[in-house]
Amino acid sequence: MAGAADTAPKRGRFAPYGLLSPGIIWLILFFLVPVAILLRASLSSQPERFVPDDLRFKWKWSNFSNALNRFGPQFQDAMRNALIAAVVVAVIIAAVVVLRRGLWHSTRARRLLIGALVAGFFGAYIITSTVDGWGDHFQRSFLYAGIATLLCIAIGYPLAYVIAFRGGAYKNLLLGLVVVPFFTTYLIRTIAWKTILFDNGPVVDILQSIGVLGDSGRLLATPGAVIGGLAYNFLPFMVLPIYVSLEKIDVNLVDAARDLYSSPARAFRKVVLPLSLPGIFAGTLLTFIPASGDFINAELLGSPTTSMIGNVVQNQFLVQLDYPTAAALSFVLMAIITIAVLIYAKALGTEDLTG
Amino acid sequence: MSNDRTPQPKSGLSRREFLTRGAAAAGGLAAAPYLLGGSPAWAAVDEGAKVGGKVDVLNWTFYIDKKSKKDFPKQTGIKLKYSETLDDNNTFFAKYQEQFANDDHIGFDIVTPTTWMAARLIELGYVQPMPFDLMENRGNLRAELENPAWDPTGEYTVPWQTGYTGIAYNIEATGREITSVEDLFDPKFEGRVGWLLEMRDSMTLALLSTGMTREEIAAGVTFNDAKPAFDRLEKAAQGGQIRRFTGNSYVSDLLSGDFALNVAWSGDVAQLTLEEPNLRFVVPDEGGHGFWADVMCMVSTSKRDKQVAAWLDYFYDPVNAARVAGYTSYISPVADIEDELAAIDPDAAENTILFPEQDVLDRLVQFPLLDPDDEERFDERYAEITGG
Repeated sequence: MAGAADTAPKRGRFAPYGLLSPGIIWLILFFLVPVAILLRASLSSQPERFVPDDLRFKWKWSNFSNALNRFGPQFQDAMRNALIAAVVVAVIIAAVVVLRRGLWHSTRARRLLIGALVAGFFGAYIITSTVDGWGDHFQRSFLYAGIATLLCIAIGYPLAYVIAFRGGAYKNLLLGLVVVPFFTTYLIRTIAWKTILFDNGPVVDILQSIGVLGDSGRLLATPGAVIGGLAYNFLPFMVLPIYVSLEKIDVNLVDAARDLYSSPARAFRKVVLPLSLPGIFAGTLLTFIPASGDFINAELLGSPTTSMIGNVVQNQFLVQLDYPTAAALSFVLMAIITIAVLIYAKALGTEDLTG
Repeated sequence: MSNDRTPQPKSGLSRREFLTRGAAAAGGLAAAPYLLGGSPAWAAVDEGAKVGGKVDVLNWTFYIDKKSKKDFPKQTGIKLKYSETLDDNNTFFAKYQEQFANDDHIGFDIVTPTTWMAARLIELGYVQPMPFDLMENRGNLRAELENPAWDPTGEYTVPWQTGYTGIAYNIEATGREITSVEDLFDPKFEGRVGWLLEMRDSMTLALLSTGMTREEIAAGVTFNDAKPAFDRLEKAAQGGQIRRFTGNSYVSDLLSGDFALNVAWSGDVAQLTLEEPNLRFVVPDEGGHGFWADVMCMVSTSKRDKQVAAWLDYFYDPVNAARVAGYTSYISPVADIEDELAAIDPDAAENTILFPEQDVLDRLVQFPLLDPDDEERFDERYAEITGG
């Protein structure tokens, strides 16, 4: 009897692992194993061209630097300048804080200082890149994905807001409408853009006649078309998380703010926006990460001057059959995105997500 | 030959439908004189000679007519599994390379890559010599396709369809006839010029545009020779002259007017000109790329010699060859099929794209085989320019 009493709590202790195991096995099989294979490939040399199954594992770290030098030389310059700018700003902040200790304890001043740091970093990155003309694949990928993400927030937030607070009986219908286009495949939706935006088509005609586009202007085969395509294709991934976080907000909180004489704008800024930040955070991850690795939009809507890092990885894997380079590129992309996400999570604060 | 040999998305018509429509439009053009063609050699195979067994074939989409697919098993007693999933040479290679290297059977007896890919398969030992001792119609091969550069001994490959590469243009959009490769670089067409993703097609025209002659190209091209051509192409791509590098999908760009002119394959355009009188196809004065071919190869693990030979024989019979060519609008590797084709489709038989004049033929040059090290540099440089 005593033994049975012992095992009961033990069984309870293992139950969570039992529940986790499908997920863990899934992750091991379809994430860790492929990543390990990819990592091995990225550190190997391939003695014979077109025979990628004969890889020699050699700790060849130079694959990474070669890949980065070939497809992101200007990206490296831009990153270096951005880091220098960030360090300079950080030093200034440190000096200010040392001189006037009180500042760090005022929330507003602290936010301003962190804002200056972020602005310094991205400002330097964007200025350097612009001078270079967004010349390489890494630069373009992050620029296009970044703008597309901002567009998604700009379009998706009001949309989610209206559905969540003004949708009433039509909430589900409206949400359905957001998702319906995605019943068709990604490829078809992107090709549809080609049919809509073609040079002799109505959209271009109208834009030309009202002077937005020059007479020989066009939409397709421009960076704008690629960014537009990305924003369109990833919009639901922004709308749905924001909607979920807005949906949870207790309307009484807004009413309370109004009762305390806050203007509608202030109530939004102080109550709704902070409570919906987890949604924006999740939406940004779901949009920015896949968008920066995307290659379909750049291939179909872009031109040779708008191709992204995803196009290079695809080409290296499937056309050049250079697995080490392709794998190294994938890891570089993964590493950059991981670092960016970590910084982003730190800056935006994920207590709401985790706690 | 192609990057994505999808059906023309714009119109959604198959090659066959294109042609039948064109033929109907032409009305009852007198076909009678052509009906007197020779009797099919295939008739020689009588009922008792049925081969039996099975054969698995991998080919590009829209590359065979429906009748052949039904008739071949009936005539030979061979069970046919015909797959149309070959849509890109490089993707095909990437997909099967490991099985090839391990000597695993890839599930097909015959595969139909483009010549340069066939040359690679031969080089790597992934394909075996064709069972020519069992094949009767080998003699029907067009003379100029014997002992080609991609298969010097001619043992390993048998062409399925051939074609050539020139410039397609929409006369309405260009406002003038196109005659030279220089037109591809004319600033007047900025942003409305298309090139092919297939490196050998584009590079032949680019090389000609930098002053290399056809003779020089045919004699062999090194990476150094090609540098000016690559630079010129890169400048055009970076400067916005070139809108896109495409596979077969240029057809929709051409029809929508996004391309005013582009580097194109003869067969696609032969079909389109039946529908769109404004579309033209020209082999520029400097020259064009051809004949290239998609060639049948027998994978090294296949043991179906008899069935493979029967397959080759069937499609090297002039009547069957004419039917296939009529459907694809490419050029049959089988000699003298004009009469048979005219009987099926008089319109096609009159089409100068399908049956080019001698002076056009004289302007065609085959892109030479590259030294393996050079090939890598060519591929990498080309990928850089096309944005891969």
